[in-house]
Amino acid sequence: MIKITDLEKFYRTEEVQTIAINKLSFEVKEGEFVSVMGPSGCGKSTLLNILGLLDDPNGGSYLFNGTEVAGFNERKRANLRKHNIGFVFQSFNLIDELSVFENVELPLIYTGVKAAERKERVHEVLEKMQIMHRRKHFPQQLSGGQQQRVAVARAVVNNPKLILADEPTGNLDSSNGNEVMDLLTELNATGTTIIMVTHSEHDAKYSHRIIRMLDGQKVTENILSEFKKRPKVEL
Amino acid sequence: MFKNHIKIAFRNLWKNKGYSSLNIIGLAIGITCASLIFLWVENEFNYNSSIPEKDLVYYVPTNQMYEGEWGTFYSSPGPLAADLKEEIPEVVKAGRLWTSNFLFNVGDNTIKSSGEYADYDMIDIFGLSFIEGTKETAFNNPNSIIITQETAANLFGKNTQVLGKNVLVNNSENFIVTGVIKDLPDNTSFSFNWLVPFDNFINDNPWAKGYGNNFADTFVKLAPGVDVVSVDEKVRKILPSKKEENDTEAFLHSSQDWHLRSEFKNGKVDGGEIKFVQLFIIIAIIILVIACINFMNLATARSEKRANEVGVRKALGSEKKTLTYQFIIEAVITAALSSFISILLIILMLPKFNMLVEKQLTLGLNQPLHLLFFISITLLCGVFAGLYPAFYLSSFKPVEVLKGIRTKKSSAIFIRKGLVITQFSVSIIFIISTIIVYQQIEHVKNRELGFEKENLIEIPVNGNMISSFPPIQQDLISSGMFSHVALNSSKIFSAGYNGSGLNWQGGINTEDILIRFRWITSDFLNTAGMEIVEGRNFSKNLAKDSTNILVTQSFARLMGDDSPIGKVVHREQAYTVVGVVKDYLYGDMYGASKPLIFFSGKEDARFLYVKKKAGVSNESALAKLERVVNTYNPAFPFEYTFVEDSFDSRFRSETLIGDLTKVFALLAIFISCLGLFGLAAYTAEQRKKEIGIRKVLGASVDNLAKLLSSEFLKLVIISCIIAFPIAWFVMEQWLQDYAYRIEIHWWVFIAAGIAAICIAIITVSTQAIKAAIANPIKSLRAE
Repeated sequence: MIKITDLEKFYRTEEVQTIAINKLSFEVKEGEFVSVMGPSGCGKSTLLNILGLLDDPNGGSYLFNGTEVAGFNERKRANLRKHNIGFVFQSFNLIDELSVFENVELPLIYTGVKAAERKERVHEVLEKMQIMHRRKHFPQQLSGGQQQRVAVARAVVNNPKLILADEPTGNLDSSNGNEVMDLLTELNATGTTIIMVTHSEHDAKYSHRIIRMLDGQKVTENILSEFKKRPKVEL
Repeated sequence: MFKNHIKIAFRNLWKNKGYSSLNIIGLAIGITCASLIFLWVENEFNYNSSIPEKDLVYYVPTNQMYEGEWGTFYSSPGPLAADLKEEIPEVVKAGRLWTSNFLFNVGDNTIKSSGEYADYDMIDIFGLSFIEGTKETAFNNPNSIIITQETAANLFGKNTQVLGKNVLVNNSENFIVTGVIKDLPDNTSFSFNWLVPFDNFINDNPWAKGYGNNFADTFVKLAPGVDVVSVDEKVRKILPSKKEENDTEAFLHSSQDWHLRSEFKNGKVDGGEIKFVQLFIIIAIIILVIACINFMNLATARSEKRANEVGVRKALGSEKKTLTYQFIIEAVITAALSSFISILLIILMLPKFNMLVEKQLTLGLNQPLHLLFFISITLLCGVFAGLYPAFYLSSFKPVEVLKGIRTKKSSAIFIRKGLVITQFSVSIIFIISTIIVYQQIEHVKNRELGFEKENLIEIPVNGNMISSFPPIQQDLISSGMFSHVALNSSKIFSAGYNGSGLNWQGGINTEDILIRFRWITSDFLNTAGMEIVEGRNFSKNLAKDSTNILVTQSFARLMGDDSPIGKVVHREQAYTVVGVVKDYLYGDMYGASKPLIFFSGKEDARFLYVKKKAGVSNESALAKLERVVNTYNPAFPFEYTFVEDSFDSRFRSETLIGDLTKVFALLAIFISCLGLFGLAAYTAEQRKKEIGIRKVLGASVDNLAKLLSSEFLKLVIISCIIAFPIAWFVMEQWLQDYAYRIEIHWWVFIAAGIAAICIAIITVSTQAIKAAIANPIKSLRAE
């Protein structure tokens, strides 16, 4: 599903150039659950941003479902993103002015889904995330765990092929963290590809494979469990 | 999507009530100003719209050549209208008007009312609509009279059939009401309460039949589709052919220009009220821009608060244009709320505004044009104010804002500062303009007029006031309240009668110099406080001086360097100059004193002038005046004007500009301060941690207040530097129109600058002090 080859990303100021990703190459198969680990500043989040088409690489190739997307313009990137990719952030990134229902509904609005169908799908996913009773609440009225469940609901409501999770349990206690990891595992079990950046060895164990990075490069790769491709099941 | 945008817009407005209020109030004031100006401008453009086929209707002024330049007169010779219709086939209707005041008597009811002697065609040209009677029979005989609905009600009472009823006019002649017409709208250039056939006037004034006069208002209506330029050429040829002289011509002046383009220079249209219309349209736009700038500044300054939302929306697949659209919708909603508040403000302010502009404007939201205006201005303000913040916010990179990288862009800060400078520059220009307009008006008002306007009362002469003048004069003087009483053929300020072609021994050719004439009684110069600089005044026995004249200094200069006393001036007969009067100002208050001759005589008197003694109250003086005048002239109602008041009314336009500029200057500075207040509050909030640290390190409240205020003060000082030359240039251009004008003084700029700085300091320092006295522990702990 994803194939990156010699991917490069550097940040340049007037005096120094910092390399964030250095000739990085790997592949992620459809339905796989991959964790990316490494110390702070090793380029994990930059990698995730490039994979999520939020950032441009400076070099190398990025094939998404066989299509080279590295040179996509803003409009094409937004289009590919809204139909194929869901994001889960460490700090949840819910919009404070929108209710739980409205936050989850947002990706469906951007993909042009009709109001009646939106309502149905949002209710469905909220039920699944066990947050239905909080649908009229605003983010500030929820606990961290509940907020992250809403964020996961929002990430999956559009039934994306790929979920990119950036330290999804980073701001949660262990019990809420486990809940979120269970949710991601369930999603993966339905065929959704997941790439997760994490500092937590515990969380990484939920995945099939761990890619370890240092200074923008892949250092090791551990296969934790055998990945068998399953057909993607719609939520 | 749209619903979602609206929802989030309202929630954001509610969440940030303080900033939303600043934006909404600022925009509401801007929209209120623009709307009031719109109502005024609409009224100005709709002048004479009651005239059917307005584009075919023309007034016919005349140009006369004096001293090598065409002078334009709103009058024409008596027979011109009939000849235009007869000799120019494209002219389908032609008629004349001559304004007069009638004293009407119906039973015990006495009313003085102005109206017109009119030709029959005027009924069609003005499209008068009859409530009683018909136009065909309205002018059947010379003593027919058409009256307006209001005049009918005033004379006969409301809801009374008045057709065929008699009205006694000027206590001498009976007229029969042959028609009642609908009242004319307020915004019409020619208004009247009654019309009587022009023949009636001709019968009493046979001189009006020939081409040797220039008194009538002539109107024509052209056939549809004719070439106006070629008709105008034909009109221009008529007077030279009739009068056999080339120094006079008539021409067409479109009804569309009667109100807005009524000034002429060298025979050609040279603006008029349109100048004010353009000026106030520009002012409306400027005030709106200032209000929109507040929105732009606060929206971009507070962009960090929205950055995360932008990042999330982009990550979820929103395109830049969708976000731009969302932010513009938010701005339009803010503008819509402002428009709603502005409607309430307009309802509150309209009566005062009407008093200021002397009109009867109404909000009229049921009128499609007004509704369209409100919708358009809402959209325009929303889009204009929202466009820059929308592009700015939607350009945030999600990867940066989601990482929490500060989104403050130096370009945005630069633009924001630029916008604040723009606001304050405009405000300072307004302040300077207000001061200079006020100075110019005062300068002219305090000008040496050559007479004393104070305590001088002017009473129109009617009935038998001329024959009763000696007892009136005697009674008033003997009352001890008045020092002098005199008659004059003209109003003291007006240009009055004129003529040319005078000559004297060794004199120049005055064929093309317009000389003004006055017929006065001997005490007029004393009454008006005018000064004889050489020779003597007229004697009390007017007949004794019937062949003598007084001339003003400017006329004396025309006669040469020698003393004019004893010289003979010929005008139909010989007159000897017996005195020279110090130049005094009449006509154009900004111009120079023009040559003038005083004749001795009271037969042509139209105004009685009375000088009240200082210390006598107006009330008792007027009561005495009324009693005396009514004793000798009981048939006419007593009317009076204080010359000082009529002097002030000559500066109506300037006073209006002065008043409106003052109001707009105040509003501009108020709106700018709202924005500055918002920015200062936001800066203080942003720098909370820095202030806390500085305080912990020993900074005093004074130090911190200065630190926070100085940033804004710099902007106001830059605004002064930009505003001063612009204001100087603009006001210098404005003053060019006045021959008698002030010089612009440097202190005006300094005063305006200091005023702006003081206002800005007060606005900003409240926020700065509030931030400086806050407990630093709170802000540091929050971090």
